[in-house]
Amino acid sequence: MPSLSSRKQREAYLYIAPAALMVGTFLILPMFYTTALSFSSWDGMTAPHFVGLDNFFKLVTDANFLHPLANTLKWMILGVVLPVGLGFFFAYAISGLKGARIMQVCIYIPATISASAAGIVFGFVLRDQGALNILLQSIGLGMLKVNWLYVQPYNTYAMIGAYTWQATGINVMIFLVGLQGLPKEPLEAARLDGANAWTFTTQIVIPMLMPYVVIASLLAVINSFKVFDTIWVMTGGGPARMSETLAVTMYKEGFANFKMGYASAVAVVISLLSLVFSYFYMRNMLSRESQI
Amino acid sequence: MRSKNTLLSGAMIAVTVIWLSPMAFLLMNALKNAADYSRGPLLLPSTFNLFHNIANAWAQGIQGGFINSLLYGAVSSVLAVLLAAFAAFGIVRMKLPRALGWFLFIYSGTIFPLQMYLIPLFKSYIALGIYDTKFGLFAFYTAICIPFATFVMRGFFLTVPWDIQEAAEMEGASSWKIFWYIMMPLAKAPFLMLTLVQFTWVWNDLLFGMVLVRSPQARSVQVALLGMLSLYGQADAPTIITATLIVSLPTLLLFLLLQKHFVRGLALGATGN
Repeated sequence: MPSLSSRKQREAYLYIAPAALMVGTFLILPMFYTTALSFSSWDGMTAPHFVGLDNFFKLVTDANFLHPLANTLKWMILGVVLPVGLGFFFAYAISGLKGARIMQVCIYIPATISASAAGIVFGFVLRDQGALNILLQSIGLGMLKVNWLYVQPYNTYAMIGAYTWQATGINVMIFLVGLQGLPKEPLEAARLDGANAWTFTTQIVIPMLMPYVVIASLLAVINSFKVFDTIWVMTGGGPARMSETLAVTMYKEGFANFKMGYASAVAVVISLLSLVFSYFYMRNMLSRESQI
Repeated sequence: MRSKNTLLSGAMIAVTVIWLSPMAFLLMNALKNAADYSRGPLLLPSTFNLFHNIANAWAQGIQGGFINSLLYGAVSSVLAVLLAAFAAFGIVRMKLPRALGWFLFIYSGTIFPLQMYLIPLFKSYIALGIYDTKFGLFAFYTAICIPFATFVMRGFFLTVPWDIQEAAEMEGASSWKIFWYIMMPLAKAPFLMLTLVQFTWVWNDLLFGMVLVRSPQARSVQVALLGMLSLYGQADAPTIITATLIVSLPTLLLFLLLQKHFVRGLALGATGN
């Protein structure tokens, strides 16, 4: 008769098997397959043939890659600064206020609807004859009117704005948890020493919240690489592919131009960019957990 | 101090109202008819055309997608969280050998950008005959929801005291009984929170709905919504806006009704403590 602990181990495999099989089949295998395809040329019909690093050499001279890459970096920087910055601002401003709870829920509401739905709403607001231009005209600021979704670089900034509206909520939640966990004594001491609001915030509160700033920023970077729906719905990456990010480029090369090897190479580049940040995020999460 | 707080409260209420103004824009224009809308999207409605708009949006393609995605979201999220709970139970409570390695294998499903999955899934779905089937989307949505759910359930099972489990084992309870009668009753809160978060993810997904299905029978709700934009000649602006409202309501209502679980769970999930 097998020992109790070896039977228990065998049973343990039964518990983990369904999840591991699902993840292995639908996520891990495709991930390896895409990596392999990135070294091939494939129209999706005939057999793919191996071309080594050709796709990656082509990428670095392809304007249809370099321009989206520049846009992706814009998205990355503003997609961290705006949602994390606003998230901190909201959390810090409402924490301790009467009605903080309701305000927190209200600020999170945009995050519950889909990026497609938000994209459609902002599409109606930002189109040439849309709500924003009508508003600008009616308050005498007609000279500021722009065809927001059509003119470079406003279309990218307009879409980052719509994205920020949805991406801020999670950071408010993160910073409220952080603020609630701050030890009271050093804060009281600084207050009694007469630190003014600015010094108090920048010298005391933000340094103490640093772990939360780090985790929120890493999460925001990783999410900024994932943005597809907002752009697909609002501009489709256009006009003339000028507002694409790499996520959109990958989809177009693969599913509109049927250059599946090339599209896979774009996917690998997105992965490499985001893996750096994912690595630090996961390490941060797991080390935090081990302190429990 | 008190007056300063009142001032800040007032300012923040104003900011919150401005923050929600796109939602107000959505609600307000869903009430109008086309002529009323063309008077100006910022004017208050002078007609009440909501029910007509709902009927239009529903008939012009939202209906099928709405019902499909309710099923995708409900079945895939519950199944994924259950499979994740099994996995986390095996990893933490059953002394699985090389537990951390297995955990990282499953959790690694959260770190790659979704673009890494598209082409192989599309191609193999066609080869296996599950392209453009509901089964194909059910299977993928279940798989994509497992990694994060496993992360949270693992974190939860790490906190359950060992003496309860040891006492049950002394009395000869099987692991199956321990899972269902001891662990699951304790895990109700994370289970509910995860189901909500994953339902929302599935409901809001556009990309895999675009890539893995094509026909109206299997179409997901976000794809159906986008389909209305390309019908733009036929669907007027208030109908599209109303469709957007309909598509937004389930996740919005879930959040508002169960916000207690959401608020705690989201911060927990993001920060890992």
